[in-house]
Amino acid sequence: MPQFQSIWSAILRRPAALIGLILLFLQIVAIVFAPVLATHSPVEANPLASLQPPSAEHWLGTDVSGMDIYSRIIYATRINLLISISAVAVAFVIGVPIGLLIGYYHNMASSLAMRVFDFIQSFPVFVLGMALVSVMGQEIWNVAIVLAVLFIPMFARLIRAEVLSLRQRPFISAARCSGATDGSIMFGHILPNALTPAIVQISISIGMAILLTAGLSFIGAGVRMPTPEWGLMVSSGAQQMILGIWWVSLFPGLAIVVSVLSFALLGDAAKEMFDPTNRSRT
Amino acid sequence: MIAADTRLLDVQGLTVAFGDTHVLHGVSFSLDRNEVLGIVGETGAGKSVLARALMNLLPSGARIVGGDVKVSGRSVFSLSEEDARKFRGGTVSLIGTNAKALLDPVQTVGSQVARVLQAHRSCSRREAREETRKLFEQVGIVNPKRRMEAYPHELSGGMAQRIVIAMALVTQPDIVLADDATLGLDATIQVQVLDLFVNRCRDLGLGAVIITHDLGIVAHYCDRIAIMKEGRIVELKPVGDFIAKPEAQYSAVLLDAAKVRPTPMTTQAEKGRGADNGDAILRVENLFKYFPLSGGEVVKAVDDVSFSLNRHETLALVGESGSGKTTVGQCLVKLLGTDQGRILFDGEDTVPLTEKEFRPLRRRMQMVFQEPYVALNPRWMVADLLSEPLRLEIGMSNTDRASRVRELLDLVRLPSKLAHAYPHELTAGEQKRVGIARALATKPEFVVFDEPTTALDIRVRAQIIDLVRDLQREIGLSALFITHDLNSVRSLAHYVAVMRLGKIVEMGETEAIFASPAQEYTQKLLAAELPIEQSAAQKIRATDRQNALGAAR
Repeated sequence: MPQFQSIWSAILRRPAALIGLILLFLQIVAIVFAPVLATHSPVEANPLASLQPPSAEHWLGTDVSGMDIYSRIIYATRINLLISISAVAVAFVIGVPIGLLIGYYHNMASSLAMRVFDFIQSFPVFVLGMALVSVMGQEIWNVAIVLAVLFIPMFARLIRAEVLSLRQRPFISAARCSGATDGSIMFGHILPNALTPAIVQISISIGMAILLTAGLSFIGAGVRMPTPEWGLMVSSGAQQMILGIWWVSLFPGLAIVVSVLSFALLGDAAKEMFDPTNRSRT
Repeated sequence: MIAADTRLLDVQGLTVAFGDTHVLHGVSFSLDRNEVLGIVGETGAGKSVLARALMNLLPSGARIVGGDVKVSGRSVFSLSEEDARKFRGGTVSLIGTNAKALLDPVQTVGSQVARVLQAHRSCSRREAREETRKLFEQVGIVNPKRRMEAYPHELSGGMAQRIVIAMALVTQPDIVLADDATLGLDATIQVQVLDLFVNRCRDLGLGAVIITHDLGIVAHYCDRIAIMKEGRIVELKPVGDFIAKPEAQYSAVLLDAAKVRPTPMTTQAEKGRGADNGDAILRVENLFKYFPLSGGEVVKAVDDVSFSLNRHETLALVGESGSGKTTVGQCLVKLLGTDQGRILFDGEDTVPLTEKEFRPLRRRMQMVFQEPYVALNPRWMVADLLSEPLRLEIGMSNTDRASRVRELLDLVRLPSKLAHAYPHELTAGEQKRVGIARALATKPEFVVFDEPTTALDIRVRAQIIDLVRDLQREIGLSALFITHDLNSVRSLAHYVAVMRLGKIVEMGETEAIFASPAQEYTQKLLAAELPIEQSAAQKIRATDRQNALGAAR
């Protein structure tokens, strides 16, 4: 794995990665300092100040209930990133070992697992999301669980593909001759060599998760009002959009773009950074 | 026409650099028509850069710092774009390593070669194909008409190499460069391909440059030899003179390293053997291993193989690729299951054992893998790689392990500071040594060496051979050598078993087999060897080779 310094210099050499890093940094600032940065309460309705355009009082205007859009966007960073990062973390922690096992062993259980993954992945994401959330209830954690279920097959497949090619490599035979057991071959030899693409996928998946969270909320299958959440905010302004009240949807929409973009850029950079060096050397 | 005093190829003080690093330092040589020049050097000597520079096809980042390359009096660096295109392939052509990778996988080989011709000469598609067919016949391709319609993946390595040679010759160039063109081919195929290539060049009166790390090839096929070291030509003279008396110290070392060091080593061998004197550490009886293919066919990789091996002795299993020799080795150490037969290790049949039951035996029975780098986990340090097998030693403390690792490094003559290096930081020779050290970690009684000397530079190969000989003497190792490098067999093994298509066709004492091989196949294998000792015997040997190959074809 590249050293910290080489990662840092690699990032500096790629302007796209640097932009991604700056955007990520802004989001972290928003998460940590939300109470300081917000000018209003993110959940307090104020019917008197409904649908006000951007002004000195309300920097990005207010929505139908008179809630301050700027403050809600800041607080929503916490919700959106919390959901997305925890969903991807769970998917990684569960998907990677599954991928390792089904790649290493060829038996009924591993082919059954693959068919289950086919089933999950062949389902339209939103239909599945709506179904699961409506069964389990519109809670933040349920949205995270839905996303995790969707992402587990992705990580498992990635790892499985790596394992399938790695287990053919001579150093695995050499390890077996050295008396290595299945467990030590899997975790000592194969896993460290198989992780790279999954690590690269983390960042890209977080971006996807943010988009899906927002999408689920937008169609009403995500979190509920008045939770500050970007997709929900876009959705709540959608009807006013044709009336010329653009600020309600536009600003949270931009927040989604910025957030997804930052993780996508970082994911691309990670891919470039890991790929050529490791592939050419092995 | 070329003026009589103009050399066909004239390289003067060629200096090439990557950035600030000079990789060629003032290389000068010349080549005439009807001459074959051999350029020999180890990895990193700058051979391939030289070949690319002669074609004016340097990789990006490389630049000519000084000197010139003149072909028939014209500098290749001053050519216009269009002239350069005609020059490459038309005047000078290059045959690279690994023919299969050089061919376009989605085009038939016939049209690929025909296309090269069309790019250089105005002719119709039909004429080009007709020319190609004729050429295929001349480079020894059986049934050229059908072969032209084949895709590269349908061809064997030797056949693909012939196609690439045909591609290089189709435009009737003046100079052909062969850059390690036969690397990785079986010895028997290698001599066929080289015979053909050199004969074609001589027939057409071309100038040829054979770039290789194998002194044997140069000794047999070239008129003059150039020894390269670190971007310089350290010696350049006729091959006969060179072999008789190399001048530069480096070339003397190389020549010495390439020589066979015969004489088997232990006293055990002198006791004579008899098929089995009761002290067999390993006895293989009627071993079978078939691989089913799709479509109901089976490959009989190992087909009723029996042999035995006494303690402190070494048996070499030789044969071409596909003969099943590696499969035998894998069955012995249970990397593959065995279909039928018995493998008696120290009297115990290992075939019916499960992996768990077999595990304790792994301590006594190890394997050294063929490709040194890929057989080492790239993310593990040498110390970890060496201590992995030590887990088989029950109740070994960490300090004992650490000291054993130091012992092992010492045993294979590696400095102890390498314990904390990763495989990619080591040279090929060091990697090979780590592989050997790892196999010796648990002090096994029996070791399988899979191709211990293949793909190594001349000096490294000699060092590995010396190391293994020392080990045989010092720790009385019993070993099975799986190899197609017959030169190393003479230096390492007491007995030889020749395998062909899954069967052992001939078995006996090494020197006896080398002196008088009984089977035609063994004769063919031996005839394909290109040993360096041949000054006087060269002509006789060459004729013999022709005859043996002709007979076996």
